[in-house]
Amino acid sequence: MDRELLIEIGCEEIPASWLPGLTRQTATHLDGRLKEARLDTDAPAESYSTPRRLTARVAKLAERQNDHEELVTGPPVGAAFKPGGEPTPAALGFAKKYGVDVAALERSETTKGTYLAYRVRQRGKATVDVLADVMGGLLRDLTFPKQMRWDAYLEDGKGELVFARPIRWLILLYGGRVVPFVIRRTEIAQGPLVQDIRSGPHTYGHRFLTTSGRAGRAIKVKTFDDYQARLLENFVILDRGERESRIRRELETHARRLGGRVSSLVAAHSSLLQEVPDLVEYPAVIAGHFPVEFLQLPEEVLTTTMIHHQHYFPVVDEEGRLKPAFLAVANMQPEKPEIIARNSERVLTARLRDARFFWDEDRKATLDSRIDRLSTILFHKKLGSYREKADRVSTLAEWIAREACHRPEAGADAARAGRLAKADLATDMVREFTELQGTVGGIYAREEGQPETIWKAIYFQYLPVGVEADAPPSRQQLGAAAVTWAAVSLADKIDSVAGMFAAGERPTGSRDPLGLRRQAQGAVKILADLPQLTGITDRVELWPLLAKALSPWTVPDEVEQAVRSFMRERVVYLFEQRGFDVRNIRAVVPQSLERLDLVDAGRKLEALGQMSGSVALHGVAELFKRVKNITKGVGAGAAADPALLKEPAETALVEALTHAEPRIRAAANQADYKQAFQAIEVLRAPVAQFFDDVLVMAEDERLRAARLALVARLRDLILDIADISEIVTES
Amino acid sequence: MTLQDLILKLSAFWSAHGCLLQQPLDLEVGAGTSHPETLLRVLGPKPWSVAYVQPSRRPDDGRFGQNPNRVFKHHQYQVILKPSPDEVQQLYLESLETCGINPRQHDIRFEEDNWESPTLGAWGIGWQVLLDGLEITQFTYFQQVGGIDLSPISCEITYGLERIAMFLQRVDNIFDLEWGGGVTYGEVRLQEEIEESKYAFGQVNMPPEEFASAHRDLFDRNYALGEKLLASGLIWPALEFCLKCSHLFNILDSSGSIGVTERTAYILKVRQLAVKIARTYVDATLPAAMSEV
Repeated sequence: MDRELLIEIGCEEIPASWLPGLTRQTATHLDGRLKEARLDTDAPAESYSTPRRLTARVAKLAERQNDHEELVTGPPVGAAFKPGGEPTPAALGFAKKYGVDVAALERSETTKGTYLAYRVRQRGKATVDVLADVMGGLLRDLTFPKQMRWDAYLEDGKGELVFARPIRWLILLYGGRVVPFVIRRTEIAQGPLVQDIRSGPHTYGHRFLTTSGRAGRAIKVKTFDDYQARLLENFVILDRGERESRIRRELETHARRLGGRVSSLVAAHSSLLQEVPDLVEYPAVIAGHFPVEFLQLPEEVLTTTMIHHQHYFPVVDEEGRLKPAFLAVANMQPEKPEIIARNSERVLTARLRDARFFWDEDRKATLDSRIDRLSTILFHKKLGSYREKADRVSTLAEWIAREACHRPEAGADAARAGRLAKADLATDMVREFTELQGTVGGIYAREEGQPETIWKAIYFQYLPVGVEADAPPSRQQLGAAAVTWAAVSLADKIDSVAGMFAAGERPTGSRDPLGLRRQAQGAVKILADLPQLTGITDRVELWPLLAKALSPWTVPDEVEQAVRSFMRERVVYLFEQRGFDVRNIRAVVPQSLERLDLVDAGRKLEALGQMSGSVALHGVAELFKRVKNITKGVGAGAAADPALLKEPAETALVEALTHAEPRIRAAANQADYKQAFQAIEVLRAPVAQFFDDVLVMAEDERLRAARLALVARLRDLILDIADISEIVTES
Repeated sequence: MTLQDLILKLSAFWSAHGCLLQQPLDLEVGAGTSHPETLLRVLGPKPWSVAYVQPSRRPDDGRFGQNPNRVFKHHQYQVILKPSPDEVQQLYLESLETCGINPRQHDIRFEEDNWESPTLGAWGIGWQVLLDGLEITQFTYFQQVGGIDLSPISCEITYGLERIAMFLQRVDNIFDLEWGGGVTYGEVRLQEEIEESKYAFGQVNMPPEEFASAHRDLFDRNYALGEKLLASGLIWPALEFCLKCSHLFNILDSSGSIGVTERTAYILKVRQLAVKIARTYVDATLPAAMSEV
């Protein structure tokens, strides 16, 4: 008969952001372990969680394991019997291993011949006898973003049991009965106050809430329904969805009562609504107010304080303007909500008072006047202060706008924005709200009356963070500042990369304390999306920007090479994240980064993606390795006498090249790379024929030179588009 | 409840639960964790439970006595329980009740907040405890100190005394707190706050470069001495100079004398010394501790 399995891992408060993943893991791993144990279920495991528990339930779990049958093969029949039919020692040994006579062995036909075989039949054990292994396996399977040691181990021979937070109790019930299981505590910790955790039938309700008896006392349960009902009686809503809808409902009700709604910023800029249901077992929304005078603070500062620092929901009016109110989600059904409201108001008000102090103090001085103070803040001992960094960023940003992007009209503003970009490091607001670095500088610039081209370039300087095409900022957000922002943001990031490499600080393995990978990634993302972000459609090559940023420093070739390969990794990563085949990426992103324009590279990748089924193109690619090898050391446009090329395969290739060359160049000029690759794929037959019929390394020196010059011409024509030999490499 | 009553209540509570009552470390430190009663005692196998007040200096938090919530120096009540008892959260909540906080009338939460001290090579897993949105305690299960994995795991409970006292006395300004016997916190500490803040932010009759180089110099000299003392096998004295370096680094930081990257280098340097001290302590005390356990 099938019976219900109920597991609850009772824990000290598990981080909210981990719970959704852990809940999924609990069900998946339990299913996996049950399957491995040959225990049938009627449906996949259900799982639930609150901050203090991970729960799993299987409504119907078979009472026994399935029987196990397996055919074990032994020696081949040919080696099993002597000519007289007597079994050989090999056959006898195999039979003995399974405790049977040779006569009882089966014959197994395989592709390699006939073998002696023995059919192992294992009767399934009772479920209660294997559930402890399932439980142990489940505990081992769960993984955490950060694991904790807590002096615990399992008796499964694998030693220490790490977990999210200490486990405090464990329910393991099958058919309403406790299945014995134990988590041991290490000898060094074990004592009257530190004990083994043994499975039992008890759960625990809310820490503080109870209708009768002592809050947090043990509650005995038998079935899942009983368990869920008893938890609810004891102020624990097991189902996360129920907690969330309760929170949403109460937020709406309270916001309406305050004459507004919950700010859409909550959804746009944070995962607050996703996080809060995992912070509470029994949510209640509590409304509070803050003094209206704080509304003069910038919205970013108010919402950062409320959302990120306090987990409070800002409330806005019909026009979307912040109201002097907030909503807090408490893990309580408080006797007097006004007590919690008043205390929360005091905490928020104190934080806002701090923020306003910074706001008032900071605005007494202009950003310009703070630039001098940057000279006391060291950026890096070999690279100087932030003052010097600001000067470099300013120069580089102007150069990027004028020279690299051909937007001379944006040059002066890019220079000015670059110069002011780091000034907010010398403000109190940024000391306090470090996550608002850049944003604060932008706001102060706006308050000072700087034009959009400048204040927004400062405001968004640390973006983008992700590599997704729609990672903020958007063209619309940037408005008139698109070009100045791109120039400043690129300049800042590229200056950091170049400077740090010059100073010998390069990321290694998992160590990247200065965040250079993230910065390089941001720069690469801007360049890859330049037309959409800024409207700039000119070619903007990556390497000249780095070369310019490296120019203030004297760096050995080896460092320059390191910068190239570091940047190339970021380029490859971006394209990989955007779903392109890594072989194609290697084809269009040269090691040297020479002449690499990321927008162009993206188009080539699109085209190669569309050509992935082309046998002919892959054929050329196969031959291209040979083309490259044989022409090593042969320069571009090598002089040779074409009149020497008389063989049919030679003249055919000359003709094919002469025909293809203008088509390929024209297509490339229009950035129509599909057409370019189509013109290349036509070369397959003549190139193959050439290599079949012609000995390139002819004895006659002049003839050899002529043939090599021809192959080099082919090489350079194709390399101009991509190193297509890469598209057929084993990845 | 006055600030000193609060200290008495917590001391009585933890003393009744088997803690030794220690005294503050007589050095300038940023937190109770720096006290050898925590930093060294959590290493090795020997059980140790201790509680003490630690005046804690955070140069960056100095506000010239003008901010109602933030001060250069505050007081922590530090509890170390080694090994960490199973009922430690419950014990902690009982300690709050002892101080007059009724958990049924408030929203008390344990929210993820892992603690890390890069300069001490130490980190732990835990929470900040929120009382109606106010952070009143840092609750940490130490995992590593001085780069050494701990076994058994110690639990560190760090109460923010001023925060809790303000909550209990319902005052909005720290300087209005009653320290004891009708004397306010401001009367005891305001002048000190103003002067220490001026110092921390380099507002002295000295050009900034000179201020910075004086502190760099002090750092280097204390560091060199710390290394020498450790080489002589003197763990406690070496730790004291290591902690001085840690504080000097904080001053360099708060006075804006160093940038982000140089900051990293300083942190690394202090950490290297702390790691060596922890290693030496373990090597020196482990054999004896093992035979006792």
